[in-house]
Amino acid sequence: MTTNTMQTSALDVDALHNTDLDNIVSVKDLSVKFEVAGGFVFGLKNVNVRVPRGQIVGVVGESGSGKSTLIYALTQLMADNAIVDSGTAHMEGEDLLSKSPREMQRLLGDDIAMIFQDPMTSLNPVFSIERQMIDIQYRLSISNKEKRQRAIDALHRVGIPNPEQRLTAYPHEFSGGQLQRVSIAMALMAKPKLLIADEPTTALDASLEVQIIELLKELQAEIGCSMIFVSHHLGVVGTLCDYTVVMYHGDVVEQGPTAAVFNNPQHSYTQRLLACDPARIKQRTKRLPTMDSDGSEHVEIPAGSYLASQIGKEAQLENDTDQLLKIDELGIRFPIQSKLSAFINGNKDPYLHAVKKVSLTLKRGETLAIVGESGSGKTTVAQAILGLNEPWCGAIYFQGKDLLSLSARERGKTRRDIAMMFQDPISSLSPRMKISDLITEPLVIHGLPFDSRNQEARRLLGMVGLPLDFADRYPHQLSGGQARRVGVARALAQSPKLIVADEPTAGLDVSVQGEILNLLNQLQEDLQIAILIITHNLNIVRHVADRTLIMNMGNIVEQGATESIFANPQHSYTKQLLAANIHADPV
Amino acid sequence: MWLFLLRRSALAVLIVILAVSALYLMIHAIPGDPASIILGPRATDEMKAALYIKMGLDQPVYIQLASFFANILSGDLGYDVFSQRDVSDIVFEQLPWTLALIFCAITWAALVGIPLGCYSAIHANTWFDNLTGVLSVGTIAIPSFVVAIYSLLIFSVTLHWLPAIGAGEQGDILSQLEHLILPAFAVGLGWVGYISRLVRSSMLEVMGSNHIRTAKAFGLPTHWITFRYALRLAILPTVTLLGVGIGYLLSASLFAEIVFARPGIGKLIFDAVSTRNYPVVMGSVLVTTVLFVIATTLADFTNALLDPRMRANR
Amino acid sequence: MNQLTSTSDEQSPLPVKVYKEKGLFSTLTDTLRRLVKQPLGLLGLVLVTIVVLSAVLASVIAPYDPIALDIMNRLQGPSAAHWLGTDQLGRDTFSRVLYGGQIALQVALSSIALALGFGLLLGLIAGFGPRWLDSIILTLFDMVRSFPTIIFALAVVTLTGPSISTIVLVVVITSIPIYGRVVRTQTQALAQQEFILAERAMNASMPRILFRHMLPNVIGQLLILASMDIPIVITIEAGLSFLGLGIQAPTPSWGSIINDGYSFIRNTPWLIIAGGLPLIITTLGFTFLGESLRDIFDPKLRKDV
Repeated sequence: MTTNTMQTSALDVDALHNTDLDNIVSVKDLSVKFEVAGGFVFGLKNVNVRVPRGQIVGVVGESGSGKSTLIYALTQLMADNAIVDSGTAHMEGEDLLSKSPREMQRLLGDDIAMIFQDPMTSLNPVFSIERQMIDIQYRLSISNKEKRQRAIDALHRVGIPNPEQRLTAYPHEFSGGQLQRVSIAMALMAKPKLLIADEPTTALDASLEVQIIELLKELQAEIGCSMIFVSHHLGVVGTLCDYTVVMYHGDVVEQGPTAAVFNNPQHSYTQRLLACDPARIKQRTKRLPTMDSDGSEHVEIPAGSYLASQIGKEAQLENDTDQLLKIDELGIRFPIQSKLSAFINGNKDPYLHAVKKVSLTLKRGETLAIVGESGSGKTTVAQAILGLNEPWCGAIYFQGKDLLSLSARERGKTRRDIAMMFQDPISSLSPRMKISDLITEPLVIHGLPFDSRNQEARRLLGMVGLPLDFADRYPHQLSGGQARRVGVARALAQSPKLIVADEPTAGLDVSVQGEILNLLNQLQEDLQIAILIITHNLNIVRHVADRTLIMNMGNIVEQGATESIFANPQHSYTKQLLAANIHADPV
Repeated sequence: MWLFLLRRSALAVLIVILAVSALYLMIHAIPGDPASIILGPRATDEMKAALYIKMGLDQPVYIQLASFFANILSGDLGYDVFSQRDVSDIVFEQLPWTLALIFCAITWAALVGIPLGCYSAIHANTWFDNLTGVLSVGTIAIPSFVVAIYSLLIFSVTLHWLPAIGAGEQGDILSQLEHLILPAFAVGLGWVGYISRLVRSSMLEVMGSNHIRTAKAFGLPTHWITFRYALRLAILPTVTLLGVGIGYLLSASLFAEIVFARPGIGKLIFDAVSTRNYPVVMGSVLVTTVLFVIATTLADFTNALLDPRMRANR
Repeated sequence: MNQLTSTSDEQSPLPVKVYKEKGLFSTLTDTLRRLVKQPLGLLGLVLVTIVVLSAVLASVIAPYDPIALDIMNRLQGPSAAHWLGTDQLGRDTFSRVLYGGQIALQVALSSIALALGFGLLLGLIAGFGPRWLDSIILTLFDMVRSFPTIIFALAVVTLTGPSISTIVLVVVITSIPIYGRVVRTQTQALAQQEFILAERAMNASMPRILFRHMLPNVIGQLLILASMDIPIVITIEAGLSFLGLGIQAPTPSWGSIINDGYSFIRNTPWLIIAGGLPLIITTLGFTFLGESLRDIFDPKLRKDV
């Protein structure tokens, strides 16, 4: 595939709009720019999109692709510094972009309804759900009692238990998943012709994500509305949407029926995007394909010799009885109430038991993944190894020594052999320090010998494949992927025997995820470092972990070789997790 | 919720106790014989000896402190040898004047400041917003006693529009109100700016939040969004500020009372300080401190009542 | 196109701002350049420069000895000989105003520097230390804040007698909680940040975390707070001197000039005007400067924290 085959359905403007009657929305030549200090930045460049009537249209793209800008332009909900440069967006024969604020207000909440990304902040915190659900029905000339009943019906429909009682609750009294159901109920009450959803499942755990997507699908069919579904998640779009729009750098690069786009992508970007998604790579591999950040074509096809090398490695692991890390019946609890208020409330146990009796082992050069949803206690275990919290029972043996019973001094010494990579790549770097100082800091802290800090920094940057001039940059000048590489470099500085990586791919675009995982795999192979990966992302686990361990509510529910867990899960929770894992193929 | 109220009240009591103890110890830390300091240079030896025993100064400090608290709880703030009256009588005679002044000042400041802040936030970055911004910052910066003296100079001494000094004729409400105008103006002026800035910034913050975007996405009428959905949240910091503000207003009203020669607790403290009348200083500082702590505590309570998140979490 | 929202730049795909990190000097000149571009910042800068220069150069500019009496020429209005007139003892008001500025700035700078130092220390301890220590320090802060400043000052003055050091003492004690609280809040927020967790995971020592990683992220905001505190401290000094409980005669102070003017308000308005205007100019100047500095730095501060 070469880039000069510009054969993309997106640019076939005439064909797009000839069938306007079948489209509920058709966007023509839409350009949006943002006013920033010292000029303008384009958010959308001559975008043409159609939304077929009665269908679910997925708009997919990585961060900065302009997918959110598109829907906020349609609803005139853009930031103050956004300017529509040119174009039209017709809905039912009227141009949405030329409407006055008053006309737009009439349309919103009636013909158009929206669902937002973060349910926790998208509802007013000082009003009850009842008040907010009644308020949005202000157009209807029915009594408050009837409005209340409609709200209860809607909550019932989206699966909120006990809607009569829950109605008077405030947003903070709901969980994230329930709150997103409430948001959907509100959108549903409007009985809109067009439903716009902006990453509605991104803030939710995988199992909730599936439920919400199912619900949206049902409701869309029930109301018979059209829907625009914005997501960065290929799998979700593939599962849910009838029609897919792929965006890249403010451009629509491809659009068409979902099956066609996924099975027969025309544009090189779409092809690469699909190739990079770990979820779509059925065969287990330690070399994930990546997309060069400049967008030029470069797909590394996984090598076939993987399996052979792996067999040898497994045999070696069997023989190696020297356990690097052994955790024995570890329990960690946090006080959630003072003893006084626990006493007053008659609550005998004022602790949150984040981790209950967890045991695990990790051998030299092995990769172990702890998988769990938020609140499962997986990060708490990782932090205990680094001494970031105080377990109340159990033991952590590292190279045979129990870390918990060592003196602070002794513990400090063993810490030299353990490094941690944190979840947020940028904010885990001290913001006012240069990269060169950051990545060589472990050497200083542990009093390790080195010639010159600058030289050492260059060596480490080279190891993680960053240009040497990054040494003089500051963290806020890095992209997510670059900052992640800096994190790896810092972890490598002290030549550790174990790296604990908390969500090593979180917040990274699909194409960058592969790069980071390949880097970790490569380094492990070269340096024989053991890696403990903490993640919720099953798709990456498959490709990097030798063994996998599933955690739920502070307990380990299942563990074993990664292949066998994926192929033959035993515990019901594992099965549930695997079922919730969305594969990026249209159904 | 009740636990929060309880804890907050307990903290308030603790703070008052600590503050009063600190004051008490401070007075007793001054070098020299406390009796002669309290009674002044004219005291005879018998008077000193009598006071010594009356005040229990032969006891250890913590017993003295305990009996001091016991006295306070029974409403006894001490005895003023100069006017031969109970300190509590003197203080509570003066307190209403100060409270009236503070109330008028804060009311006019809030009545002008809140709408001004709202309007500035809705019309952010217009010439009106910029102008009120500069004026607000200006009024905050200018010391209130300078405002008091300049308004005295302009409106009373030069223009003769308003009375200069005193609090008005006894029993004549109209005259008392007339005497209240300039002091209340001087005390409240800075607060107009303060409140309007605070309302503006919290309003802007709320208007930019996700739930306001949701309200807009459901096409709710603009005035609902502004006044019902946004203002309710944006007003919360202002409530806290008003509570804390009582303390600053006590300072400002002290100057206003002195400049306009009005009765009040500030004037009382000042006169007592000038004549080194310790019991009166002690008593009135105690009362103002308690007043201040009560005001801040009440502001916290109000905040908790207005914000369901606080109601649940604490 | 009409925009309905006033949302911040969150949803707009703004490019990551790449700004070069510079040396201290160029940061300073850069700040100045941005300051001068804002009308209020420029005004503040000009006013502050005038006030600081006239205070520093008081002994050069002042036409008279500020405490030399000239009873024959008392309570005069402005004239060629006395630009701002004379007071009830015939002292040249202009000279007294210049020297008064010196006193005001001395008190402000020394007390703020002290309060900043103690506040920083206590705040760091409260924010990063054990919880019981945090509770104790916070309660102490609350206790000090429960006295209205001026009334607390009066109580202290009664005990120790009026002097410059008394003013400084009062200001230091009452402002430590302000700085301490900000530092504590910041420290606690920072302690939850991943980069501090990362430092702890690397087994970095406590002093290293506090001084190499926390301090640089706290100090900027603290300095802005301090610059906005200058007018408040100057007001307290002037207020106490106005009450006759601050700077004592014959040392000139803006507050005592106003006090003199207040006593003779029916004879001449000039003393009040001469004492009040420099006070207003100074507080306005520092406030405008502080606000503009905050506008310039705050977005970056917020982003970092």
